[in-house]
Amino acid sequence: MSKRLLDFRDRTAIAGVGYTPFTKDSGVSTLTLACRAVLAAVEDAGLSVDDVDGLATHRVGDSAAPTLVGPALGLTDLAWHLDQFGGGSVSHAVVGQAALAVAAGMAETVVCYRAINARSEFRMGGTGRGVPVSPEVQYQAPYGYVAPPQQYAMYARAHMSKYGTKAEHFGQLAVTQRANAAKNPRALMRTPITLDDYLASRWIAEPFRLLDCCLETDGACAVVVTTAERARSLRRPPVLVSAAAWGGGTSHLSGDPSADPTVTAAAALAPRLYAQAGLGPGDIDVAELYDCFTYSVIVQLEDYGFCGKGEGGPYVASGATAPDGPLPVNTHGGFLSEGYVHGMNHIAEAVSQLRGDAGDRQVVGAEVALSTAQPGYILPATSALILRRP
Amino acid sequence: MAAYRPAFDRDSRPWWERVGRREFAVQECDGCGAARFPARAFCPACRTEAWHWREVEPEGVVESWIVNHQPFMPGLAEPYVVVMVRLAAVPGCFVYGNWRGDRPPEPGERVRVAYRRIDEELTLVDWEPAEDDGNLDTHPARRTSSR
Ligand SMILES: [Zn+2]
Repeated sequence: MSKRLLDFRDRTAIAGVGYTPFTKDSGVSTLTLACRAVLAAVEDAGLSVDDVDGLATHRVGDSAAPTLVGPALGLTDLAWHLDQFGGGSVSHAVVGQAALAVAAGMAETVVCYRAINARSEFRMGGTGRGVPVSPEVQYQAPYGYVAPPQQYAMYARAHMSKYGTKAEHFGQLAVTQRANAAKNPRALMRTPITLDDYLASRWIAEPFRLLDCCLETDGACAVVVTTAERARSLRRPPVLVSAAAWGGGTSHLSGDPSADPTVTAAAALAPRLYAQAGLGPGDIDVAELYDCFTYSVIVQLEDYGFCGKGEGGPYVASGATAPDGPLPVNTHGGFLSEGYVHGMNHIAEAVSQLRGDAGDRQVVGAEVALSTAQPGYILPATSALILRRP
Repeated sequence: MAAYRPAFDRDSRPWWERVGRREFAVQECDGCGAARFPARAFCPACRTEAWHWREVEPEGVVESWIVNHQPFMPGLAEPYVVVMVRLAAVPGCFVYGNWRGDRPPEPGERVRVAYRRIDEELTLVDWEPAEDDGNLDTHPARRTSSR
């Protein structure tokens, strides 16, 4: 672990979480969604909105910036804010940055939120949104290759070719997560599915079927980050931020001869993350892994060290990620079945599990959780948090 | 027509112009000789800014491919195949294009560039099996499915 890092481990805590309902059409602006989620999180923590002195979000031009949300809630003198450009790969960096600001004393109570009308306004799946601005787009978009489901399908096929990963592995993951969502009142999709339902779902981009893809969702989610000391005096049991890491990863521009599309930025980041917490994969009781697509979870199970490289598919098929397995994963149903709030709902679910208030889907004895961002396939970076019960 | 007309930038314009002349070139670093693509100013291996174009064999191997069953951009007719090719001339470099084989690609198979002229300003780079011969421009992007 880096000697230069300020005493960060367990210095900050998540003191509250807040949600709007997850829907297919919120009928309101992302600014309204953001304000509702921020207020809900503050209420959950037992704080007043006037206690908030920092706001942070991430977005790709599709949400409300802190400079809008602050004034909209009458917060005219924020000590700190962050408007992080980027997709899911930075979702956990936002909370990490907030924890760092709190640990450094720049702010005391930061609300991190993500508001998105991903179904009714800006669909990530390739329609209703302009082509992203990046030099690499010119080499991809002319061939009709532009949307995340295509990119992930491409990497998933590489994994299938190299390691023998099968459609049934992806399917088992979708089935398990839907079963989790059935126990989650917030989830958009709660009707259980079978492996046959998965295999019968229509093609999107082979090898991906509809049920490999996450739900495009309208909704918002927020978490309150404050000092561990202060969190102890608030309404809810505090959940400590033991480690926060971001960065890592390579890209097709790096000229690395060993470039391997079956390895994500998470493989580079995981050792730093675990070292910061003083923990390893064997210490994780529950994992909320960014599941924009089924394959995303399978590759992260490998790159975060829960199974060997190439063994993610059989690991899932063995039932290891089910609620009664050694590593319950995406206990809320994930993006595949709860809803897609771009990473923030994974963090909030980890908090719920560690507070012990996850209801029917509670993992008994959950003390340490891993929550992760998009593992760095689309941008060469990822981010992740390790959270724990005090 | 192309589904999307690429916006050439100051790094990439000369590369696209060469493709228009059916030349397949990559940058070669004047400092260490490393090849790189796509075009940009600095060598990631030695950080030298000086470089020159080098024409290379337009070949690679199939790393992966997808069959698109919905038009991800306006103007496309599904299904269509996008292939991801590991470029032979540049280690660790992956490039994309539409598939022009009359069967699905196979992982690891050798492929060659098949130029697709859109108009005077734009030619695209597709891929086809390396053992194919014949006129590269006679067949349209294949519609194959691995279902
Ligand atoms: Zn060089």
